[in-house]
Amino acid sequence: MIIAGIDIGNASTETALARYVDGKPEFLCSGIVDTTGMKGTRQNIHGVFASLKQALEKAGLTVENVDLIRINEAAPVIGDVAMETITETIITESTMIGHNPSTPGGLGIGVGVTVDIREVNNCEKGDSVIVVIPRDVDFEDSSRIINHAVNNGIFINGAIVQRDDGVLINNRLVKKIPIVDEVSLIEKVPINMRAAIEVAAPGAVVEQLSNPYGIATVFDLTSDETKQVVPVSRALIGNRSAVVIKTPAGDVKERKIPAGQIIIQGVNKKAQVNVDDGAEKIMEAIRSVAPVEDIKGEAGTNAGGMLEKVRQVMSSLTDQLPSAIKIQDLLAVDTFVPQTVKGGVAEEFSMENAVGIAAMVKADKLQMNMIAHELEAELGVKVEVGGVEADMAIRGALTTPGSNMPLAIIDMGAGSTDAAIINRAGEIKSIHLAGAGNMVTLLIASELGYDNMGLAEDIKKYPLAKVESLFHIRHEDGTVQFFDKPLDPRTFARVVILTPNGMIPMPGNFSLERIRAVRREAKTKVFVVNAIRSLERVSPTGNVRDIEFVTLVGGSALDFEIPQLVTDALSKYSIVSGRANIRGVEGPRNAVATGLVLAYEEGE
Amino acid sequence: MHMNFDAPKPEIKVVHGKNMTYQKVVDEVLHGIEEEGIPFSVEELEESNPVELAFRGAELSHLGVGIGITENEVVLHFIKLKEDHPIFRIPSYSDEATLRAIGSNAARLVKRMPFKNLDNTELS
Repeated sequence: MIIAGIDIGNASTETALARYVDGKPEFLCSGIVDTTGMKGTRQNIHGVFASLKQALEKAGLTVENVDLIRINEAAPVIGDVAMETITETIITESTMIGHNPSTPGGLGIGVGVTVDIREVNNCEKGDSVIVVIPRDVDFEDSSRIINHAVNNGIFINGAIVQRDDGVLINNRLVKKIPIVDEVSLIEKVPINMRAAIEVAAPGAVVEQLSNPYGIATVFDLTSDETKQVVPVSRALIGNRSAVVIKTPAGDVKERKIPAGQIIIQGVNKKAQVNVDDGAEKIMEAIRSVAPVEDIKGEAGTNAGGMLEKVRQVMSSLTDQLPSAIKIQDLLAVDTFVPQTVKGGVAEEFSMENAVGIAAMVKADKLQMNMIAHELEAELGVKVEVGGVEADMAIRGALTTPGSNMPLAIIDMGAGSTDAAIINRAGEIKSIHLAGAGNMVTLLIASELGYDNMGLAEDIKKYPLAKVESLFHIRHEDGTVQFFDKPLDPRTFARVVILTPNGMIPMPGNFSLERIRAVRREAKTKVFVVNAIRSLERVSPTGNVRDIEFVTLVGGSALDFEIPQLVTDALSKYSIVSGRANIRGVEGPRNAVATGLVLAYEEGE
Repeated sequence: MHMNFDAPKPEIKVVHGKNMTYQKVVDEVLHGIEEEGIPFSVEELEESNPVELAFRGAELSHLGVGIGITENEVVLHFIKLKEDHPIFRIPSYSDEATLRAIGSNAARLVKRMPFKNLDNTELS
């Protein structure tokens, strides 16, 4: 007889096809397609059908040949992710411009009163002036006006320019001045205010304006006022050029956004924690009340909104009342999000603290039976719901050459991280945790400031390289690869993602090292943390060290570096861990589907 | 040690045809190079094909970067490319920002910086 084991996962639907001869399975083929719809819902049927068809075609069989289909009792776990910024920087009455135009003009520091360049001839002889040059005045006129004014005894000590003209203006000046250009929102620069402007030499950074006492020196500030400019100087650290404008009520504030409380209801205990206390405190609270029954957010706050949104999504997907949806695990991760500074003039960014949250919800088990019924009606083949997903995964994982009981598996998927352990007696214990591949994508997207999740997904999945000339790239590890055809000019001198469909140039000015660090850190924060967290929970003693062998399965185990990161981290607990190789051929894929077929033999 | 002080200056060659009537176009391209801070020089050659002019410029330039300008077209070329495959070509009637951007990109080719879009905005 022919049996198909079909595993509906968060991201992919996998099939294992086997023929039973004398009660022993002989595996024929496997299939894999993207899961259609949210896992555990009616929409999955299309994916199941496609995955099965794919396996059958490879084996040269049709649906009529199949005697039995076993689908997983999809551990009814659905994950969702959200991000909450918990600090913000506000500039009231624009007091600073700190940005890095690629080519500012001139050098040094200049102090004066801001004047529109078209009004500069109304200035008195001996005035110290910083000219503000809007888009309508071109560099030739600007430099002529400045030279003329200087001849008339007006001290022009610096310029703030809207266009990318800094070098051109400077090259035409008799007396050189520091010039900051590419200030996009120049109309926001207050006129008739004292301003200081600083441009550092190539390769250097501003020193005077990034130092509170430096600002105090140029503006004659009192000690109290100096205290107030600390956020300004801090925000300017690392820039090659900067402007600080002193307005009477000007201020830069760093503010904590009250994000609200999270209430964790355990079986015996209850804990409350502020989201703005950060991820560490949240995770500590969750650990202290485990096992968790439900997690709620304080009503009327961002935290509440975030968790309620997860609950709403789950309730509409599973046709249950929101109150029946229980959030049973949560992974909080501290991260940074680049946010436009409110009140900034040159679209300055500041890195704000944020907390990323992945939530895991247990839904209704009956949905799988419904899927089984519909499949059976549609295909005319007997469909049964096989055992618990984690049990099936362990059975599948045990087909990895070199593995044996006792064995723990970590199933790293897209929506959740699941772990299970089987002891020598064959008893299995399993748990599900929030946070997996989707969370990594979210962290990468938010830390690099991309709205485009597809791009973040590519960064997660593929290695990077730097295009060093029109003909060669340098890979992450420093190896150089040459091409005999010139590369796309759009990739020139950029960091690119090496996808199977070619190079994708990365927007923004991030260095390869920075993107790589963000990527690896996101993977560590989610998968290494979850690997340890999950093993702690399934370990018979509660101690990770008492587990000897771990295999990694699931889609994220296919990643080019996640298994290494996890293996490396677990080796510190003297655990042998590595990527599974299901049936010696499938790699970390197909564990549950294979387990479903094998479980039939054992009569389960 | 003997130093060769006669070695030509490293610079971008901007080449245009004889009897030039489009000084404004040439100037904007030069401003683009100037803003990026790379040396350049201008030359006149008996030739009317802009790609040819650009490639000649790249051959003459010790940086291997040439810009050819005719009444109709502005072309950016690099010595290591095939002659009939320049990097960028734009019409000479392009607006000021575009003409400047092609100049900037010639300089950025030398500096190994990402190119600007041809509307003079940074590629993002």
